[in-house]
Amino acid sequence: MGGLQKKKYESGSATNYITRNRARKKLQLSLPDFRRLCILKGIYPHEPKHKKKVNKGSTAPRTFYLLKDIRFLLHEPIVGKFREYKIFVRKLKKAYAKTEHTAVERLKENKPTYKLDHIVKERYPTFIDALRDIEDALCMCFLFSTFARTGKCHVQTIQLCRRLTVEWMNFAITSRALRKVFISIKGIYYQVEVMGQLITWLVPYQFSHDHPTDVDYRVMATFTEFYTTLLGFINFRLYNSLNLVYPPKLDSKAEQALKDNNEEDYALDAESYLEKLSAFSASLTRVVSAAEEEAQMDHFPVDEEDMEKLEEREKEQKQQEAQKKMFEGLKFFLNREVPRESLAFVIRCFGGEVSWDRSVCIGSTYDETDETITHHIVDRPSVGTQYINRYYIQPQWVYDCVNAKIVLPVEDYFMGVTLPPHLSPFVEEKEGDYVPPEKLKIMALQRGEKPAQQNDEEEESEEEEEGDDEDDDEAEEEEDKVQEKKLKKMEAQRSQPKVRVTPGVMKVDNPAQREQQEKAEEKRLAIMMMKKKDKYLYDKIMFGKKRKVRETNKLAAKRKAHDDNEKAMKKKARK
Amino acid sequence: MAPSRRLKRVVASQPGFLSLKSSDLTGEVSSRRKRVNKNKKKNWNKHSDINDVEDFLEDIRHQERTTGGLLADKSDDNLFFLDVGQQPKDHKASEQVQGKKRKGKSQRPLRIDLILQHDSLVPPIKDVLSYQQPNAKKLRGHAKRLEQLAAKGVVPRTQRMLLNRQTLNTTAKKAATEANNNPKRDYYDIWGQESKSSADPWYLQQTGKKLVKRPEELNKKPSVLPAVEVIAPGGSYNPDFFSHQALLQEAHDVEVKKRKAESKIERQLAVNKEDRATEETIFQEQVEGLVEEEEEKEVAAVEEEEQVAPVEEEEQVAPVKEEEQECVGGAITLAEKKTEKQRKREKAEKIKEQLRVAEKNQKSKQQQLFQLRSIKTAIKKREKKTAARQKQRKAKMEAQKAQPRRLGKLKFQPEDLEIKLSDELTSTLRQLKPEGSILKDRFKSLQKRNLIEPRERAKFKRRYKLKYVEKRAFRAIT
Repeated sequence: MGGLQKKKYESGSATNYITRNRARKKLQLSLPDFRRLCILKGIYPHEPKHKKKVNKGSTAPRTFYLLKDIRFLLHEPIVGKFREYKIFVRKLKKAYAKTEHTAVERLKENKPTYKLDHIVKERYPTFIDALRDIEDALCMCFLFSTFARTGKCHVQTIQLCRRLTVEWMNFAITSRALRKVFISIKGIYYQVEVMGQLITWLVPYQFSHDHPTDVDYRVMATFTEFYTTLLGFINFRLYNSLNLVYPPKLDSKAEQALKDNNEEDYALDAESYLEKLSAFSASLTRVVSAAEEEAQMDHFPVDEEDMEKLEEREKEQKQQEAQKKMFEGLKFFLNREVPRESLAFVIRCFGGEVSWDRSVCIGSTYDETDETITHHIVDRPSVGTQYINRYYIQPQWVYDCVNAKIVLPVEDYFMGVTLPPHLSPFVEEKEGDYVPPEKLKIMALQRGEKPAQQNDEEEESEEEEEGDDEDDDEAEEEEDKVQEKKLKKMEAQRSQPKVRVTPGVMKVDNPAQREQQEKAEEKRLAIMMMKKKDKYLYDKIMFGKKRKVRETNKLAAKRKAHDDNEKAMKKKARK
Repeated sequence: MAPSRRLKRVVASQPGFLSLKSSDLTGEVSSRRKRVNKNKKKNWNKHSDINDVEDFLEDIRHQERTTGGLLADKSDDNLFFLDVGQQPKDHKASEQVQGKKRKGKSQRPLRIDLILQHDSLVPPIKDVLSYQQPNAKKLRGHAKRLEQLAAKGVVPRTQRMLLNRQTLNTTAKKAATEANNNPKRDYYDIWGQESKSSADPWYLQQTGKKLVKRPEELNKKPSVLPAVEVIAPGGSYNPDFFSHQALLQEAHDVEVKKRKAESKIERQLAVNKEDRATEETIFQEQVEGLVEEEEEKEVAAVEEEEQVAPVEEEEQVAPVKEEEQECVGGAITLAEKKTEKQRKREKAEKIKEQLRVAEKNQKSKQQQLFQLRSIKTAIKKREKKTAARQKQRKAKMEAQKAQPRRLGKLKFQPEDLEIKLSDELTSTLRQLKPEGSILKDRFKSLQKRNLIEPRERAKFKRRYKLKYVEKRAFRAIT
């Protein structure tokens, strides 16, 4: 046994990992700086498989990083900037303490800063990579843009976030990218489709902030710092792809229309442009003001099998096009109690025109008194003056329309009416799952069936229930009659001789039915011929399916019972 | 200048200018004439009566203050007007005036402003000094010279120096020092343009200016979870009854689990009822050592009775113990040397044993030939087992990808589910009260996806102990 004795923890996993503190010392950074650097560079801690080995025999809980990652960090130019900043703070403190005001001024002028552009490029080598990772960025920016400017984070960050989110929403409007909206108790979920990527984000309700104390604001601000850079570059690229001017500019025509003589009542000059942009009521200028070209689908000579698929796809495309223009030609007016920004965004995303009261926000284009308004969105039990030629509806209608992909009938959403439930569009039911009746109704509407029948049916059933008591007596009489008839028949049978000839019935040869029967027979035979093992599996699958069906039936029955119960309650209340 | 000069002239033209022997003076003074030397200026000032001049000057000043000049100089039109009696239109006009007044009441200046107004018609004296410039003459000359030079086209030295200075690229500097979160920062097409590095790559690399390529491994996400997890359908602001119930059930289950864990800990920490002190045990503890002797005596008596029988046994056991003790003592001494015979015998035994084992192995191997089938089945069984285990391990690993890892001192604690109870549900969007905090939700999501380690807020540690001192004033009262 020659050679040196191997020492413990000098090879293998013990050398592949490094604890956070050691990494920090290696980089000569303070812990907050180290944390910031890791977030910016996208380097995350790892959990080693064998903690005790990595931890050199100790079982103390520690945070580990991969050594290679930390070595990679050593090359980052920002590390130097962090050190510079540390020195800067020290110098500044000293100058303040000595009340050397000129020195303070000079130092402040030369404050070391850093750029994250190269990190964005490094982490996301292609545009599509970045687009895939945008959800976090959107959530964060939307969240920060709603913060009050109270010093929880830099006001500048809030302004930048606001600007970027407004740009993003304007892009979504122009490209008609919105697919789904879900109003939850947390906030509003939106889903857009950009370049084939489905992007979901969450927007908090306005004015709903209590600042939780157990959240590390510094960490969140660092994430936001990176994400603002990322989102800005993505916005630029997206605007370019639509031939829009970046930074966004309002259409000159629209700008003229929006010009108000008491503009400065709303906002400072510096902010008024952003405010106008965030009103979403006007379109943006394009680089090339050519008429919009409808993208034609390419045609290739294909096989017949593919032909069907192609047709299907074409049909889908057409449907989507129609969906995008859902609200075109409709004119909305938002009452002051509805969430303006969200509704304006959604309506504009589908081509509707929208306005609001002049005092609510900048950028209102027409007044409440406009005769051409088709839908007036209200969220209160009654309104003072009502116009005959418009619908007064609740805001949920707009969101439900988006999720149903059609313009729903307005009857269920009138002012003061109890609304149908707002279903989550993010739930996709598989075959055999329980589907709530509201969704079934919407699906029927999508297929183009008439919704009125169901309503009638319901009414009818109500009427029937009311009339039930009267019917009871009649039913008893009928039953008696039937029994009498049966008795008579039996007697007749007894009197007749047992053997008799009856006229034959011609068997109708139904090819479809026969085919079906044959198929069923084949299937049964195939099941019989199965191996024992396969049979076992097959039975299991079938059992699972049946169980699912049973469960759905149960739920449906429950729902029916619930509905009936509700109806009865309502009736009672009416009485 | 002009008014004062005129004033002098006017004063000079008045009769009795500076009469030293005024009658008033003499009248007031007693009949005895006071003798005053008139050859001294001091006495002139002291004993000449200038009241009339003062009065006169005061009168003039008053005239100037109130009318802006001497009344004597004014024309008759300025001083008099023709009284024609009351005009017939006057009534109407006054009404109008009144109306106007009423309207303009608010525009009338405040009385306090009127009081404070400068009401003299004599303009205030100019402060000549404030218009004067030190070195005015010199400066004027300097400026003139500069003008002349400029006309010739000569640039002065200071100007020349300024112009010759290298122009700083201020915009570039500003861009370099611009903060990252500047709301007006501009963006560009970062993915469109290729990096244009004209310098030698070797040079860049050696000087540390070239960016190191990012390892591919780093682009893997640490978790498969999506960035935004949409809330269950029961979390809608106006949910479907069943989905809402399902969500409530879920929240309920979580809560029950939590309660169970809590109660378990409580149970473990609870004091055992039997361990609790009763009156009896307390009493016993108190009398511990007091009653001992009697009891021991009793016990001893019982033991004696018992011991009568086993005495013999004990006697037998005792010598054995002694022997053992001797043995233990003997083990320390070196073992005695083995004899040659013993060694040989041992060796032979060893070889024999080895041979036996080898033969046995050989035999068993030969036997295995006949056990092939059973061996095969055993192998198959084992392989099956390992395959199943592998599968299980893989599934576990797959499931763990979606799980939060243990990245630090603390375990990941999921946030409480956001729910609204059935009676909290509102019928309209207007009345909706949002649940939970999105900031916290985002923070937890980052932790859940292993991007950051769960952490507790650093506790504030006081370096020195606080010292409370009663204030003096307060102490005086108490």
